[in-house]
Amino acid sequence: MIIPYTTDRRADTGVTNVTMGMWLFIASEVMLFGALFSAYALLSVSAIDWPSGRQFLSLPLGTVNTIVLIQVTAVAWRARQSSAIKARVLLMIGSVFALAFLGLKSLEYAHEFSAGLRPATNTFLAMYFTLTGLHALHVIAGIAANVWAIAGATRVGEAMMAGRTRALALYWVFVDIVWLIIFGLMYLL
Amino acid sequence: MRIFSTDHKVIGLQYALTSLAFLLLGFLMILMIRWHLAWPTQAMPLIGALLGESRTSGGVLLPEFYLQLGAMHGTIMVFLAVVPLAVGAFGNYLVPLMIGAPDMAFPRLNALSYWLYFVAGLVMLAGFFLPGGAAASGWTSYPPLAVIATMGQTAWLVGMFVLVLSSMLNSINMIVTILQLRAPGMTLMRMPFFIWAMLVTSFLLLLAFPPLQAAAVLQLMDRLAGTSFFMPSGLVVSGQIAKSTGGGSPILWQHLFWFLGHPEVYVLILPALGIVSEVIANITRKPIWGYRAMVGAALFMGSMSFLVWAHHMFLTGMGPTMSGFFQITTMIISIPSVIIVTALVLSLSGGSIRFTVPGLFALGFLPMFGLGGLTGLPLGLAATDIPLHDTYYVVGHFHYIVAPGTLFALFAGIYYWFPKVTGRKMHDLLGRLHFWGSLIGMNGIFLPMFIQAWAGMNRRLYDGGRTYEAFAGFDGSFRGQAWSAVFLGVVQLFFIVNLFWSLKRGARVGNNPWDATTLEWVATSPPPAHNFEGTPTVHRGPYDYSLPGAARDFTPQSER
Repeated sequence: MIIPYTTDRRADTGVTNVTMGMWLFIASEVMLFGALFSAYALLSVSAIDWPSGRQFLSLPLGTVNTIVLIQVTAVAWRARQSSAIKARVLLMIGSVFALAFLGLKSLEYAHEFSAGLRPATNTFLAMYFTLTGLHALHVIAGIAANVWAIAGATRVGEAMMAGRTRALALYWVFVDIVWLIIFGLMYLL
Repeated sequence: MRIFSTDHKVIGLQYALTSLAFLLLGFLMILMIRWHLAWPTQAMPLIGALLGESRTSGGVLLPEFYLQLGAMHGTIMVFLAVVPLAVGAFGNYLVPLMIGAPDMAFPRLNALSYWLYFVAGLVMLAGFFLPGGAAASGWTSYPPLAVIATMGQTAWLVGMFVLVLSSMLNSINMIVTILQLRAPGMTLMRMPFFIWAMLVTSFLLLLAFPPLQAAAVLQLMDRLAGTSFFMPSGLVVSGQIAKSTGGGSPILWQHLFWFLGHPEVYVLILPALGIVSEVIANITRKPIWGYRAMVGAALFMGSMSFLVWAHHMFLTGMGPTMSGFFQITTMIISIPSVIIVTALVLSLSGGSIRFTVPGLFALGFLPMFGLGGLTGLPLGLAATDIPLHDTYYVVGHFHYIVAPGTLFALFAGIYYWFPKVTGRKMHDLLGRLHFWGSLIGMNGIFLPMFIQAWAGMNRRLYDGGRTYEAFAGFDGSFRGQAWSAVFLGVVQLFFIVNLFWSLKRGARVGNNPWDATTLEWVATSPPPAHNFEGTPTVHRGPYDYSLPGAARDFTPQSER
């Protein structure tokens, strides 16, 4: 069966189904993380004593990890303009960067755990572990989506693959933005 | 029919059967509650002995089990029965047909969203078999009670997380389908009002549900990782100070929950209004009055519903500025509902009304929904909400909206579109008995609630307030409600029998038995895979009934 506008744009909306679906997904995710950031704001302003993240978190590791994560997006963004074969290679490189991000993040968690820092230590750390954990789940989901697109790259045809890479690029930009907010809020402030 | 199908019609029917099963389960739970409230010290006949020692004592419900039934009745009815029936079943089955599309935009995601819903429901129900039983902290799961509750609450939270994933996928699919897959000529203002209702509903599901998901994650952390997002400092539980890392806020949960909770109300009623509009246009044989105003009202209602949530929280000690803001927005949001209902009532005037079974349910919907809506106004104003809060008045109010309101509309929809799904009509007399019986039964349950509330009867009292002198003399009304509930249950047998009997024995009908105008009636009954032979073209608006000079009193959208 052929669903209309899977790969070509509809004239009156100007987008394909896949692009519109991804934007709606991101809108929903904005509400998810928006609620969590609002909870963070509410809890921190009403707390008697709210610690700075610098007391607990490693700024160098966080900075390196930020740079690593941006590479994932940079690569996915380039893949938008490429042929299916080249996009496949770029998405593989991106997935490796994303795995590196998760590796560094695990290292950070290990440091924090060995220093006796737990979600139950204080509400700042509770928020830190919840937000970064949920963000890491999004990175894992992104890797899975990358792998899925890579696996189908030659089978689904150029147009379909281009649509998928465009959607993936949007997704990774969103994952980046969430990370930058977490980084700013927790590592820098 | 394959079980793992990606056909929107199969998925729609899967949603329908699953949600109707949940509807029955939720009803049986409340039947036990109503019986218990009428005779709180007597053994429950038939099933009292079957429930086991952990749930009953000598055939009488234990308080813990009573609270589980209450919490799970609300959860099942709202999240697993009514919304999946309205959006999952009607939306999935009808939206592609009514806009002239071959399927939903993402058929595989559609199947995934059904199966996630199915799993979420099972996980929540599994709570009943965990030590300590199912979630028992109300359908709103307020902390700190929910945080210190037994394991069933964890099942509730995990189920809710999965359910939000399911509804997110379904709503993305619905919006993309409506905006992208409309047949040539199906401009936005030619879409049936039902489609507009589904579009707004899907946006509400898409944007309002994630904060509940976030809240569920935070509550899970509180329960499993020992954090204190919602646990206040210094809380005493069973004589001991509960563990807390300081700075938690139970009110934060309420904000996150009701940020979902209020748009959810419009998720419950917008599809119902959509179905009723289709049926009313059909039974009056004339265009619905004020289609454009109704579309505008639906859009306004949808966006406004994000700004009213704290009217559920007037008792949390918010300042007068805050409560003033939310009172004003609440009064404003009543306007679009009034516009839509008024337009539907005006549509009746001058029509040659056909009193079909779906027509009866749609007509019954209007006054019942009106009663539910008008009793909501005093709850939207802090001064009157404060004494009414947590009494049976609130329960009566929202049940009038959802039970003889939304459920009547959904029943109307089932009777109306059954011929499209099966090629057969449902039995007429059984349908009429079902309607009149349900109308009497539901009013017998919910009308006394308003009177009980004037005595201040609290909505969650295990023994129906028998220990309080002020609540003496209500035995009669409680028993009336219990018998009404039993009667309502018996009447539903007419529906259940009708549904299965008509599948095999119902009178065979053509593709368009109601002489309707919208696009789904052009397809064969039942529609084949991919729905239409070739893509239909739309030439006119959705409700061209009784056009002057036309040969028949209806002109389908696909006719030039």
